[in-house]
Amino acid sequence: MNRSLIVILGALALCAGLFFGSYALCRQICHTSMSRPTDSLDWLRQEFHLTDAEMARVRGLHEGYLPKCAAMCKQIADKKKEIAASLTGATNVTELTQRQLGELASLRAQCQSQMIQHFLEVSQAMPPDQGKRYFAEMKRITLGEHEQVEKSMSDSPGMQHGH
Amino acid sequence: MNPHPDDVKLTARLRESRPSPPLPPRFEEAVWRKIDDAEAKSRPTQTPTWLDALAALILRPRFALVTVTVLVLAGATLGVYKGVDLARRDAQSRYVVSVAPNSLR
Repeated sequence: MNRSLIVILGALALCAGLFFGSYALCRQICHTSMSRPTDSLDWLRQEFHLTDAEMARVRGLHEGYLPKCAAMCKQIADKKKEIAASLTGATNVTELTQRQLGELASLRAQCQSQMIQHFLEVSQAMPPDQGKRYFAEMKRITLGEHEQVEKSMSDSPGMQHGH
Repeated sequence: MNPHPDDVKLTARLRESRPSPPLPPRFEEAVWRKIDDAEAKSRPTQTPTWLDALAALILRPRFALVTVTVLVLAGATLGVYKGVDLARRDAQSRYVVSVAPNSLR
């Protein structure tokens, strides 16, 4: 093979190695050094530039909300178990199952409204602009995904649900 | 075979009867130059291709140093940017997981 071609190919391989090597190394170092898995509220402080006082208020709200959220999650999990038990060996949907499904939907709605209420309270504990941004972001993450799934299902042919 | 002594004498006489004109200055040098030029013309010419030019450029130490520096800096900058973004996403997911149960998302 031509000597010049070997030199060029070797240089290209070396360049690619140097670029991706330095990229991967710096990405890993940065990711590792900036991640603090111990504090779940770290994102709020970084993203919304909260002061210590604002963080303390948000932390208080967060710690007050967690037990309520856990209790609601437990009720939902128990209801799902009841439904699974009533569906064992079933050949059709009984009145009991229908009632349990309704209760599960109601529990989920309560849980969701409690969560949104928490987001609103947290947003009010922040400076107004950051609070608005926080609430919009949380709506996008927690409600936006459902909207996308529903939209994709209603748009796709053969998946008309009539709503 | 040795030449006949008369032939030698005859040759000398003939040379004397036809005197050769004096050679121009630097005659020998000019002859050799013409021979060199003729040989160079008969040799196949090998002009460097763009690949040769590029390889020569790559092998220049200053060019290689600048290229390596630029690539390492560009890779590091992109890596830092990506690392910060990954850390931010991780932190966001940790918060979201703590406040929004999976069944509601």
